Amino acid sequence: MAAVVLENWVERIRNPEIECMSRDEMAALQSKRLANVVNRVYHNVDFYHKKMKALGVEPGDIKGIEDIDKLPFTTKEDLRDNYPFGLLAIPRKDVVRVQGTSGTTGKLTLASYSQKDVDVWGECVARCLTMAGLNEEDIIHICYGYGLFTGGIGLDFGARALGATAIPMSAGNTARQMMCMEDFGATAIACTPSYALHLAESLQEAGLIEQLHIKTGIHGAEPWTEEMRRKIESILHINCFDIYGLCEITGPGVAQDCIHHAGLHINADYFYPEILNPATNKMCADKETGELVFTTLAKEAMPLLRYRTKDLTSIDHSTCRCGRTTPRISQFTGRTDDMKVIRGVNVFPTQVETALLSMGGAVAPHYLMIVERKDNMDILTVMVEVDESLFSDEIRKLDALKNKIGAVLKQALGVSVRVKLVEPKTIQRSEGKAVRVIDKRGL
Amino acid sequence: MIKQLSVFVENRPGSIMRVTSALTSACINIRAIASFDTPEFAILRLVVDRPAKAKEDLTAKGFVVKVHDVIGVELKDEKGNLNKMVSVLAEGGISISYIYSFVIREEKAPVMVFNTDNYEKAEKALRAADIKLVEEVEL
Repeated sequence: MAAVVLENWVERIRNPEIECMSRDEMAALQSKRLANVVNRVYHNVDFYHKKMKALGVEPGDIKGIEDIDKLPFTTKEDLRDNYPFGLLAIPRKDVVRVQGTSGTTGKLTLASYSQKDVDVWGECVARCLTMAGLNEEDIIHICYGYGLFTGGIGLDFGARALGATAIPMSAGNTARQMMCMEDFGATAIACTPSYALHLAESLQEAGLIEQLHIKTGIHGAEPWTEEMRRKIESILHINCFDIYGLCEITGPGVAQDCIHHAGLHINADYFYPEILNPATNKMCADKETGELVFTTLAKEAMPLLRYRTKDLTSIDHSTCRCGRTTPRISQFTGRTDDMKVIRGVNVFPTQVETALLSMGGAVAPHYLMIVERKDNMDILTVMVEVDESLFSDEIRKLDALKNKIGAVLKQALGVSVRVKLVEPKTIQRSEGKAVRVIDKRGL
Repeated sequence: MIKQLSVFVENRPGSIMRVTSALTSACINIRAIASFDTPEFAILRLVVDRPAKAKEDLTAKGFVVKVHDVIGVELKDEKGNLNKMVSVLAEGGISISYIYSFVIREEKAPVMVFNTDNYEKAEKALRAADIKLVEEVEL
């Protein structure tokens, strides 16, 4: 059972002027900002200038959001091709920080921020924290990883904007997490949903739940189900909220659900959403599933036009029971690519391929990724076919090879993997697109 | 020195059978077999009558195979001979990576097969101790 039942919930809205704005007024605001960002990128970002010229589109042609389909798309590959600073719209010296996420091959996907971008990011997360019922009196235990990944830093910025106390735990070391939660009196916890469940069960086993003051959980960075949320809520007696974001757009805080759990409210004054049919690129109607595409309306350092997230979802523009008019996206139904989220980290099969190739063979050995969840932790096993170049007569050399592959993959993917050496031809070959991943998690 | 085949197999039922079936249908005679395992995979080591053909055949059937030189030593079937051989090597500071033996047949003495990191030193030590080395042709 959750901490606070719906009947007793008091809704607080950080920025009612924006979050409860009429649809017409929001459209007008978004239109003004869109025209502005298009003008900025046309004149300051070579990539967009070329793309728009190729389409025969000029900033003057974009009068409002109704003209958005005239604009070019941006993909992860574009970010890779312009890595690291090729998409900057401001001088590099004005970039106050960078954050990164997994790339599809060897390099990270890098995002740059101006001071204002950082402030907006913090503000968006603060809106989400408020939506989750938090305020400046709260103590937020943040166990998302801190570093290039946006999880830890994003929640930290949000806590700062809110005026709450941030406990920057980063990820790992469950025993220490539990001790600090108890000692510092955390009232909220931010971490991936699978870690929340793992932590909940550890706390339950340690008999610590009664000693804690946690009433709220903010979880994201990986897909999760309604069942998982209820399970975490019932073990810890807290209210759990689903926070969404992506590094390329800003990080966590792009959207989050409210107490009614009827979709994730998008901070649409900053991030303009489109749901497009991935085959035709035509806009989907409300409640129709398509690919989520974002345009950043106010980012200074690295604004993006029509960034294809590859996440499949649907949108609802109706006013929510909480009073917010910001559009809501439904639970993600899948992706248009092979990307998997393992313990909160994005992993692409192509990264595995690149890493295996880097080990020196002419061709990457055949591999298969198997994703499972055991004791609430994601486990990635990479099966690698042993071929003539990899095989050695000595067990210890094969063992060393196995460990080396594990180390190379860990370095490339950012998560530990299990390596299983298998006989040649055990991994199914296919005529068409190779099956690279088997996900047994049923998410 | 004698030739030895190593085949990579996974730890599952039928792994050895798949290899021996393949060799049988290629009319290869298996003289010795030993397996060395880890929790997940194993290396099957074989001494056969025609190692080059065996390798070719197994590779064509999709196995990963390597052919190595290993030392073969013929020991008289008497107590203490294995111990003597192993002692000679130990005293010479020569380490044995793995060792296995042949099935006795046609009244020929048992043959010990082993791998070491320093073949020259091992052969020298064994000869000096009057221990009989076996060459491929004698098998």
